Amino acid sequence: MRIEKCYFCSGPVYPGHGQMFVRNDCKTFRFCRSKCIKNFKKKRNPRKTRWTKAFRKASGKELTVDNSLEFEKRRNIPVKYNRDLWEKTVEAMKRVEEIKQKRQARFIMNRLKKGKQLEKEEAIVEVKKNIHLIKAPHAGKAKKLEDKMVQKLQEDVDMGDEDV
Amino acid sequence: PADKPEFIDITLSKTQRKTPTVVHKHYQIHRIRHFYMRKVKFTQQNYHDRLTQILTDFPKLDDIHPFYADLMNVLYDKDHYKLALGQINIAKNLIDNVAKDYVRLMKYGDSLYRCKQLKRAALGRMCTILKRQKSSLEYLEQVRQHLSRLPSIDPNTRTLLLCGYPNVGKSSFINKVTRADVDVQPYAFTTKSLFVGHMDYRYLRWQVVDTPGILDHPLEERNTIEMQAITALAHLRAAVLYVMDVSEQCGHTLPEQLELFNNIRPLFANKPLIVVANKCDVKKINELSEEDQKIFADLTTDGISVIETSTLTEEGVIQVKNEACDRLLANRVETKMKGKKVHDVLNRLHLAMPAKRDEKERPPFIPEGALVRRKAMEVDAPKRKTERDLEVELGDDYILDLQKYWDLMNEDEKNDKIPEVWEGHNIADYIDPDIMKKLEDLEKEEELKEKAGEYDSDEESEDEEMQEIRVLAKQIKEKKQLLVMASKEKDVHGPRMPRTATKVERKKLEKQMGGLGLDMDDKDDSHYAQQARRSRSVALKRKRETSAPPTSKTRSQSASRPPRDKSGLRDPKMAKKAKKMMKNSQKDMNRHGKKGEADRHVFDLKPKHLLAGKRKSGTNDRR
Repeated sequence: MRIEKCYFCSGPVYPGHGQMFVRNDCKTFRFCRSKCIKNFKKKRNPRKTRWTKAFRKASGKELTVDNSLEFEKRRNIPVKYNRDLWEKTVEAMKRVEEIKQKRQARFIMNRLKKGKQLEKEEAIVEVKKNIHLIKAPHAGKAKKLEDKMVQKLQEDVDMGDEDV
Repeated sequence: PADKPEFIDITLSKTQRKTPTVVHKHYQIHRIRHFYMRKVKFTQQNYHDRLTQILTDFPKLDDIHPFYADLMNVLYDKDHYKLALGQINIAKNLIDNVAKDYVRLMKYGDSLYRCKQLKRAALGRMCTILKRQKSSLEYLEQVRQHLSRLPSIDPNTRTLLLCGYPNVGKSSFINKVTRADVDVQPYAFTTKSLFVGHMDYRYLRWQVVDTPGILDHPLEERNTIEMQAITALAHLRAAVLYVMDVSEQCGHTLPEQLELFNNIRPLFANKPLIVVANKCDVKKINELSEEDQKIFADLTTDGISVIETSTLTEEGVIQVKNEACDRLLANRVETKMKGKKVHDVLNRLHLAMPAKRDEKERPPFIPEGALVRRKAMEVDAPKRKTERDLEVELGDDYILDLQKYWDLMNEDEKNDKIPEVWEGHNIADYIDPDIMKKLEDLEKEEELKEKAGEYDSDEESEDEEMQEIRVLAKQIKEKKQLLVMASKEKDVHGPRMPRTATKVERKKLEKQMGGLGLDMDDKDDSHYAQQARRSRSVALKRKRETSAPPTSKTRSQSASRPPRDKSGLRDPKMAKKAKKMMKNSQKDMNRHGKKGEADRHVFDLKPKHLLAGKRKSGTNDRR
């Protein structure tokens, strides 16, 4: 029992799900759901269909070359069963998966950093240009002016007092 | 060819259909003549064709192999056959003549009626001729059907011929040796005609011919069935197997059988002969009486091989077959050698015998395994216990466990339950003898990366200024959206009024400006407030008075009638019940927002939430 990969979207095809199409040249294509089958029949290229994993890898949106990705590979030469090898493999698999997730997340974050920078700049420009929509330019200035005048008057009075 | 009346019907209807049917009195005479001549000739042509076909399809007794000619003679009587075919031929010629005559006569027909009568006469005569052939045609039909069912015996190939009294075991023999399935029954003359079976021996195909039993009469008194057997014996160049019944179960004693043998001996002239002593499971030759044994001894001294067989237990059958085939082959080769054609072939053949180059013995090499197996086959001992044996032994407790034959590094791991999948990954894809080393390398790499600071979260805490800016930017964005929405809600289809047409309320202005941060308390003596108080555009309206109740009669009558929801109800209890019933009946309608009983309007035939949207990772069950 194996979890296969969908030819179109590279998603997992669990046993009992999806369809397999066999072409006349004996090449088999597995699909996870009718969405992928319909797209395939329309002769769409998975590397150009934006929502597939193939597109994401081909256009550099996801991590493609990495040592942690080399672990999961379809091997053609079977290895004789050895209990402790399998046990160790199960443990190793979990650790490898952790590292893989970390690296993939880091890759995507790095890609999105530029966007954050742009966002910041945009905010600054926005505020500079359109601040008048939420705050009147001379808001609070009247009060300030009043306070200033009161203060000045007070000072004058004080000065006057001093003089006298 | 079919039955006589059908034959005539078919031809006449064909004439009707395939020739033009319309002719009128006023046509020109040559046209009328042509029309009828055509019909006559067409009918004649048809009859001619069909009868010729019959004549050609039946085999001419002189042209076929004498065996078949003789067989047909036996079955159908040569004279009768030839006569029938002759009659057909005569009929054909007569029809031709009739047609010729009437066509000639039609040239002198001067009216439509005359020509038509001539045609009628011609067709009638042709049909009568055929009606007279009824018996011949019937006979030929029967011959045809029987002929098609005759077995296809090739007279020139290798053949074994079985003969003997009825019920001696000829048919059983052929059933055993070939794939033929001949009837075997306890009564005599079960086999009533010749049967053929085929078998293989020494990479060649052999025919085995089973005949009906022959009784001991002189030739003239033989009936059709026996004559078939005699014909086969006479014409086929085959090895003859004369079958005798040792146990005398067939109903004829051994001397009788010997008598018959001697009578038909002349037929075995140049043919290899074997006497098959059948039914030896019932009685063996050495159990017979002295005279009977002497019979067999005589035969053997004559040079005829006698072989005991039993078609029931199959002993001796193969022996008979082999001997007969070998002798027939030798016979055929001899005959061929005597002929002239052989020399052509012989001149081209050369048998090369390799000369010995040294005195070393080179025996054929038989591998040990083959010798062991041959010994085992002879001894017939079972080598090892198979699963099937185990299954039979354990009966219900047997469980098929193929894993016990696996060849693993550690024997005790054979029955392990292996996990195959973890979190969407196949474990088998990760299996690698070097996986631990690879994992170590990976961990080292990871450590280096961490040290290099790759994984540090770079959320530089933004200074307060930046955070403030962000907050303001968000507010600006929201305000912008609100403005856009407000402008969209404007009524663009109405008249376009200048901004000053609508009065701005004081409250609204103060609220707006207050939202922008200006101080708006205490603005009563500001300019705009004063302006607002000064102008008073709208005049106050008079308050309406309540009107007097109606005074006319009809109005007062309607006032005195009880209202609908109180008419017909005796007491408040009934009124309450009525009201409850009304409300109950309206509940469903109200729940569905319907105007009334008759409101069947569906507001949303294609609900958007079910039918809209892209195909994300979901099912299509509910579309």
